[in-house]
Amino acid sequence: MHAISKIIARHSGRESVQTGEIVNVTPDYVMLNDRGAARARTLMAQMGAERVWDPERIVVVFDHHYPAIRLQDAEAQKKTREWAAEQGITKFHAGEGIGHVLFPEKGYATPGSLIFGTDSHTVTNGAVGCVSTGLGHSDIASCISLGYNWLRVPEVVRFDLQGELKPWVSAKDVILRITQQFGEDATVYQAVEFAGSAVRAMPMDERLVLTNMVIDFGGKTGYVQPDETTFEFLKGRSNPDRWIIDETDSDDDYARIIEVDVSTIEPLVALPHDLSKVINASDGGEYRIDEAIFGTCTGGRIEDFRIAAKVMKGRKLAPHTRMIVNPGSVSVYRQAVQEGLIDTLVEGGAVIGVPGCGPCAGFHQGMMAAGDNGITTASRNFRGRMGSPDSDLFVASPATTVASAIAGRIVSPSQLVDAEEFA
Amino acid sequence: MHIKGRAWTFGQANINTDLIFPKPFFKPSYEPGEMARHSMAGLSEDFASKAKPGDVIVAGPNFGCGSSREEAAGSLKELGIAALLAPSFSRLFTRNSINFGLPSIALPGIDQHVSEGDEIELDLTQGRLWNRTNGYEADLPPMAPETLRLIDDGGIRAYTQRILRERREAAQSSAS
Repeated sequence: MHAISKIIARHSGRESVQTGEIVNVTPDYVMLNDRGAARARTLMAQMGAERVWDPERIVVVFDHHYPAIRLQDAEAQKKTREWAAEQGITKFHAGEGIGHVLFPEKGYATPGSLIFGTDSHTVTNGAVGCVSTGLGHSDIASCISLGYNWLRVPEVVRFDLQGELKPWVSAKDVILRITQQFGEDATVYQAVEFAGSAVRAMPMDERLVLTNMVIDFGGKTGYVQPDETTFEFLKGRSNPDRWIIDETDSDDDYARIIEVDVSTIEPLVALPHDLSKVINASDGGEYRIDEAIFGTCTGGRIEDFRIAAKVMKGRKLAPHTRMIVNPGSVSVYRQAVQEGLIDTLVEGGAVIGVPGCGPCAGFHQGMMAAGDNGITTASRNFRGRMGSPDSDLFVASPATTVASAIAGRIVSPSQLVDAEEFA
Repeated sequence: MHIKGRAWTFGQANINTDLIFPKPFFKPSYEPGEMARHSMAGLSEDFASKAKPGDVIVAGPNFGCGSSREEAAGSLKELGIAALLAPSFSRLFTRNSINFGLPSIALPGIDQHVSEGDEIELDLTQGRLWNRTNGYEADLPPMAPETLRLIDDGGIRAYTQRILRERREAAQSSAS
């Protein structure tokens, strides 16, 4: 069995499970974001459930529409606060950051655990060696009412990432190479594991980008086998007694194993509105950039801010370009303040917003007008995702996003900054 | 389960849920019929007003990719769409559609065998599809019994109501 099957088996009270089998599982944690909590509590009432099955296992995160944007959100959030208090739900984070950044950071995501969340990027948590996936609101409402939900045991595809990354190349570029080569439907309904020397060398912040974006080529959950980097990251965040390390039995437990040589990857950019339309950033000079959207669950962690400040140091945004920054969490924010990174970005002309999803939630803090070109550290470049359906959105790494904001057009960071500054 | 209806085709690959149900229409709660009015709003201005109960959708590969929003599937169910067919569906979308009691059936190449307006007939129990307009026929992949049962139950809401009712009855009978 693959480690993922073992995790699913354990949460279904079984010794073993078969790939393709449908089993009922009880999750360790369920994440409800602001919109998900509002919908789930309404649907739960319609289903006839009065109490959630276990308030200890529910985590509410206000990250999409916080602080409230519209009156209807303010009212929904008020009701959710009341509901959480009534239900005895005490794990509550409003304005503290993005759920997918908070879950690993606060120690909710642990090796061997099973997590559901009301957001497709819930797959992010798999970087610590757990099974974590998104569910719709009715699905989640049923789960928190009954204490279980069904899962189909997925096939697993393994990407072996071998070689050393070039300066300025990051996990985002690796993912864009995968979507370019294999398409946005590369692994529909399959789980995706990342292994190989390049993964072992990556800090947790980068691994979380890999697993986050499996959903954007069809993956059901991401997975990285826990190692010293994982344990070092988790230390002090969760009780090691809760960590369960499952091992995959053999290479026969994979539907497919794909080798990717990452040493040849250059800084990349996905063109609107398709993650498989990818070019080298150095070939993107024809695209003017009006807005840079920095942050989100694939670019708002501390390593991303460190890279951003390296690129921005001593430079300014192009006169026609604006840059919106939303830290992934309050602790990232405070760390970035302490290290002087926020100061560097503000000095360069960036605007700092609330820790949370920012414009990627599609409502606020930097929507783009018709005809605008934006570049973002986010995971998606769907039409109209961050503003007008007639705006164009390019997806890139944190380094490329900041470099392009400074140049006012798409450039590779190495066209702007010496490789020595990378180290 | 027997379905017969007119086909709407959305042939492009990777149609995401941002297009099926754009974010500006998100609300904490919806009036009956409200989700249906915005169905496919990012792709077609008149689909939601012209689609009729019983119609089916035939889409391109990886239909419903992207965000987990169940309004994408829910709005189609609310419009009365009887079934969805595509070479492949995103996991979250297909899961949400099953949860609404709306069958989403992955069938390789189906987008090549149906044109807009074709009369499509499906027998989910027998596992067979007929395009009555051009004569194309195909076997449907078998559905997991759990999935069929959930669709038969009327979706996850009805399923959850039933389990909760059974638990209450069991608690009452053990108390008495």
